Amino acid sequence: MRISHHRENFEQTVRAYSADLYRYAHWLCRDRHLAEDIVQEAFARAWKAWSELRDLEQAKSWLIAIVRNEYARSFSRNRMQTQEIDEADLPALPSFEQGLETSQLVALLPETYREPLLLQVLGGFSCAEIAAMLGTSEGAVMTRLTRARQALRQQFSDAGKRRSAR
Amino acid sequence: MNCLEFHRQKLADPPRLSAEARAHAQACASCAAFERSVDESDQRLEEALASPVPNGLADRIILRSRTKNRAWRAWTLAASVVLAVAAGLSFVREPKNAADQYARLAIEHVMMEPESLTTVRNADPPALRTIVQDFGGTLKALPGTIRYIRLCPVEDGTGWHIVFETPEGLATLILVPEKPLRATQSASAGGWNAMARPAGRGYYAIVTASAAATSRFERTLEERIDWNRRERS
Repeated sequence: MRISHHRENFEQTVRAYSADLYRYAHWLCRDRHLAEDIVQEAFARAWKAWSELRDLEQAKSWLIAIVRNEYARSFSRNRMQTQEIDEADLPALPSFEQGLETSQLVALLPETYREPLLLQVLGGFSCAEIAAMLGTSEGAVMTRLTRARQALRQQFSDAGKRRSAR
Repeated sequence: MNCLEFHRQKLADPPRLSAEARAHAQACASCAAFERSVDESDQRLEEALASPVPNGLADRIILRSRTKNRAWRAWTLAASVVLAVAAGLSFVREPKNAADQYARLAIEHVMMEPESLTTVRNADPPALRTIVQDFGGTLKALPGTIRYIRLCPVEDGTGWHIVFETPEGLATLILVPEKPLRATQSASAGGWNAMARPAGRGYYAIVTASAAATSRFERTLEERIDWNRRERS
């Protein structure tokens, strides 16, 4: 009875959070195949340790921590396969890629800014929760998020001006 | 609460403004406008971060957790094939109409790999020449500036995913070997247009933003790559 209760909770959690965790992993590694591997591994580890999860309310932040850990492990395994991006070589984006412009601008953010932004926008976490996950202070997270949004808003504005000038 | 403090709160955590900050925005027209502007850019951000999620992901995770032996990868692969065939891939695949199946698969592939359109990777003309040669063709001239080359998993194997910069915008070419295709296929879905056509050792698929751009890129491709179709027939 106890086992089936765990199983039911686990499967509900998978259905509730696997998409958000996949998106988070995808933004960390920028590779859809690796992102799925990371999420698969993260849930496999989570299932093994499921009985240790005392509060289902904490499941999402716990899973995010496992995904971050899996990403770090995969990054060390696949270091030689990571792709080189030379943004200076990117030609001007033609009109039909404008929808992808925001993605590109987010990808250009330094990781210290991008990660709290992903946790807030994709994960819906508060600054205090993000600080606990990243092992830093709430004030530092607020500063990073402020700077990330300032940088993006400036980039949106510049991109809009470039489009108008064409 | 002053305007500076309001801006700081709004930029740090837009949906969780304090009661004091909300009251300030109601009384300050400039901060109310700032609030709207941040909400708009956050909406744009949220849409951009919503990467497409592979179909059947949750089912594969659950299946893996139920499978105790080490052969989970084989099981999940089999499950994903069953799921894809049984359920179809939402609006991209239309199981009732198999006549455009490979063109739709190409659109799905591009949608699932958006980084191919924003990333410069292995943009190497000699590599393309070798790939085309292995595929049974001869590259006479580049059909555009290469931006991206990657060997990707496709149905039943691997295929080359290549993105070109052309005067009409970006064009994706997917080379799928060892896959017989009897006739040319066309499809449109999700704002993309695709065609799949027999060539070389299998078929190629072109994906662009419009039927006109696909057609123009196909003409360029046929002019610049000899697929040696006569030798094969």
